Amino acid sequence: MTVPEQSTGIFRHGRVGRAKEGIIGLLWFACAIFSVAVILFILAFLLLDGFPIFVQAGFLEMLTGTVWNPTGTPPLYGILPLIAGTLLVMAGAMALAVPLGIGSAIYIAELAPARVKAIAKPAIELLAGIPSVVYGFFGLIVLTDWIRVTFGVPSGESWLAGSVLLGIMSLPTIISVSEDAITSVPREFREGSLALGATRWQTISRVVVPSAVSGITAAVILGMGRAIGETMAVLMVTGNAAIIPDPLWNVLSPVRTLTGTLGIEMGEVAIGSAHYHALFGVAVVLLVITLLVNLAATFILARIRQQNAPKAMSCRPEGPLQGERWAITSRLEPFRPYVLIAIVSLLGLPVAGVPGYFGLALTGYCLLRLKAKITPRLAQKVAFTLLLASTLAVIAILAIILSDIVINGLPGLTWEFLTEPPRNLGRAGGIFPALVGTLYLVGGAIAIALPLGIGAAIYLTEYTREGRLTRTIRTGTDLLNGTPSIVFGLFGFAFLVLSLGFGVSLIAGQVTLALMVLPTIIRTTEESLKNVPLALREGSFALGATRWQTISRVVIPPAVPGIITGAILSIGRAAGETAPILFTAAVFSQRFLPSSLFDPVMALPYHLYILATNVPGADTNKYATALVLLILVVLIYSVAILIRMKSQKT
Amino acid sequence: MTTQSIICTQGLNLYYGEMRALKDITMSVSDRKVTALIGPSGCGKSTLIRCFNRMNDLVDACRIEGSVDFHGKNIYGNGTDPVEIRRRIGMVFQKPNPFPKSIYENVAYGPRVHGITERARLDRIVEESLRKAALWDEVKERLSHSAMSLSGGQQQRLCIARTLAVEPEVILMDEPCSALDPIATAKIEALIGELKQQYCVIIVTHNMQQASRVSDHCGFMYLGEMVEFGETAQIFESPTEELTENYITGRFG
Repeated sequence: MTVPEQSTGIFRHGRVGRAKEGIIGLLWFACAIFSVAVILFILAFLLLDGFPIFVQAGFLEMLTGTVWNPTGTPPLYGILPLIAGTLLVMAGAMALAVPLGIGSAIYIAELAPARVKAIAKPAIELLAGIPSVVYGFFGLIVLTDWIRVTFGVPSGESWLAGSVLLGIMSLPTIISVSEDAITSVPREFREGSLALGATRWQTISRVVVPSAVSGITAAVILGMGRAIGETMAVLMVTGNAAIIPDPLWNVLSPVRTLTGTLGIEMGEVAIGSAHYHALFGVAVVLLVITLLVNLAATFILARIRQQNAPKAMSCRPEGPLQGERWAITSRLEPFRPYVLIAIVSLLGLPVAGVPGYFGLALTGYCLLRLKAKITPRLAQKVAFTLLLASTLAVIAILAIILSDIVINGLPGLTWEFLTEPPRNLGRAGGIFPALVGTLYLVGGAIAIALPLGIGAAIYLTEYTREGRLTRTIRTGTDLLNGTPSIVFGLFGFAFLVLSLGFGVSLIAGQVTLALMVLPTIIRTTEESLKNVPLALREGSFALGATRWQTISRVVIPPAVPGIITGAILSIGRAAGETAPILFTAAVFSQRFLPSSLFDPVMALPYHLYILATNVPGADTNKYATALVLLILVVLIYSVAILIRMKSQKT
Repeated sequence: MTTQSIICTQGLNLYYGEMRALKDITMSVSDRKVTALIGPSGCGKSTLIRCFNRMNDLVDACRIEGSVDFHGKNIYGNGTDPVEIRRRIGMVFQKPNPFPKSIYENVAYGPRVHGITERARLDRIVEESLRKAALWDEVKERLSHSAMSLSGGQQQRLCIARTLAVEPEVILMDEPCSALDPIATAKIEALIGELKQQYCVIIVTHNMQQASRVSDHCGFMYLGEMVEFGETAQIFESPTEELTENYITGRFG
């Protein structure tokens, strides 16, 4: 008896069914190919347009040149001051954010009561979503003024202002990721240490934090990445003079970063000119720096994953190198308290300025000499007080920023403000066109990026095997994911606005924003699909379901909350970003809404940027615009956080 | 019981929120003996053993009534320091939980947190503790290797060595062999026999043969109550309670 080729009865996948399978598979394949092509195209475009300047001006001369004057005669392309500016601002930001961030992460993870922790975690994630232009606005209005008065300098726009602001901006990232790392240290380690009669602080400082050190390092590196890639806030508070501070530690000197240079000069270049290529050269350097930073983070996070699989590790043969490394670690053990003192004394920097910082370091050193007299109990008391203090400092900083914007913005927030077009260069009237413009931009960007990104992610996780191809694609996606948003702005301006001739238009802005969020959407969708256990897929296949049936009915439903969260976070990011639309879509003070896709639009972040930097005497409207932007983005983010919390509960 | 009692509980009740996990436990543990706690899963034996060194303090919403006296002093009384209690009453956990440090650092950790910094003295303590835990010969060549590179049984003996290094008076063992194979289990059991020369050992176990092999006294717990407590031989040969007999003969649990 021959087996019938098609099963009989009601369980039948006919020819139509098979064709449908094929078509759906092709559709996802197309999404994946298109996304990948776009990603590779952007990278190639940047490299190709950046390359000529390295030939023309000489690579080494560019890197070591100390004068950046691409429009002078002769034009000079020394990017050393820009690199120095970027690195100095980043280093200053980290000096502030690392001790405060890690301190509060430890406090939240280990000491805070459960109820406080439950509020603190989502609150910190919300803060990570505040648009950079809002921080920049606060920095410009309040921080630079404070620096000007406190230090008696003519202008507060300086390295210090940039570092403080960027430090504050990277706090949420550092706290959130370190807190995760500390919380995920197995409970057994804590119990093992406590059962030996160690105090809580001894347990935290000698077992828990060392076990979480890779995660904490990754958190710091991610924070660095954010600080390096930031454009708007830096642009608004650093003064933007392309000089190396003299002397090098003069924190009150103005500086200019790589991102700031792109933000300032991008709008005024002619396509194909040397200046145009020079800016692409700057973008390439920026890309390389962020790439290095992100690679470091990826590498460290991969190592954590390895460590979290102790079985795999114990099976691995012990090389002599491994033993050597442990030997070194144990030899370093006596120096460990010094490292701790260094970290703790760094806490003093933001609190008391440089003299106080040295004072505290000295005190720390003296304490160390008197170590024999310090009981573990006293050490614990001191440490816990410092941790609490750093947490309170973080809360205070963020509360000051938020309350300043809310208190000053609330009076201007009227119904007319939301529904009327601006008058008198935004000093009077409202923000209606900007509000609607932002919705247009975000709506368009998501409409483009969401189907493409989800389709690509489905193809990559469900239809391909892990191999060289997927790894290449993933590397490309990660690379673009960490790319500073101003680089997307540069690409959008050069390719869409100039080369394709879209002009400054709604469509150019939508596409640029879509490209910016595409990697995020691909990545979050992939993550949530991968979290669906393989056993579920096997269960479905074992019942004779086709691939698409399995994907659509078994794999996607549990992944939906994750996918939606990713999409909403992308919406929030797109709504708050200024740099990508700076020269691609946004105009200031247009009384009407765009009538076609090729008209320019107003947008909230850009409106706020211009009001804050170019329009004197629009105080009420400035604050009200900042408040509206803040509320909009916070609302979007809280929806995402709520969805995630809901899905975690079930 | 002729030997001196070291830990006594009086009307010990423990609540997780609303749930009463231990009901009126009154018992007395002798020094230099092995006391085993047996009973089906969820009967409260692990919860009880964790009361002896205040590890339950780490659990939120956990409330304790009654007293646990250590050398006649209530460890839940005002002014007792849980940190000091845990130094004197050590604990070995169900799953081996070495720290992600070297073998040497794992053992030296306890002495270090109690203020010993002298290298020579630490070396001596580490060697002694590892010898007592019958692990020294297996690891003396690779003290600087990661503790994670040891096998499960070795990791558990390392945890015992780590506990011995702080010179406790009592060693609590919470199902120390449940994650180990029979050979490793035999080694740990032999070790327990050695340890009772110097320490008071309290062991929670799932395995009744193990309890009969290693313990001098034995307590049978069921649904949070201490059903029967006495000499191991008596419990296994002529239990007074029907519940105990049913459990020991394998009629339930």
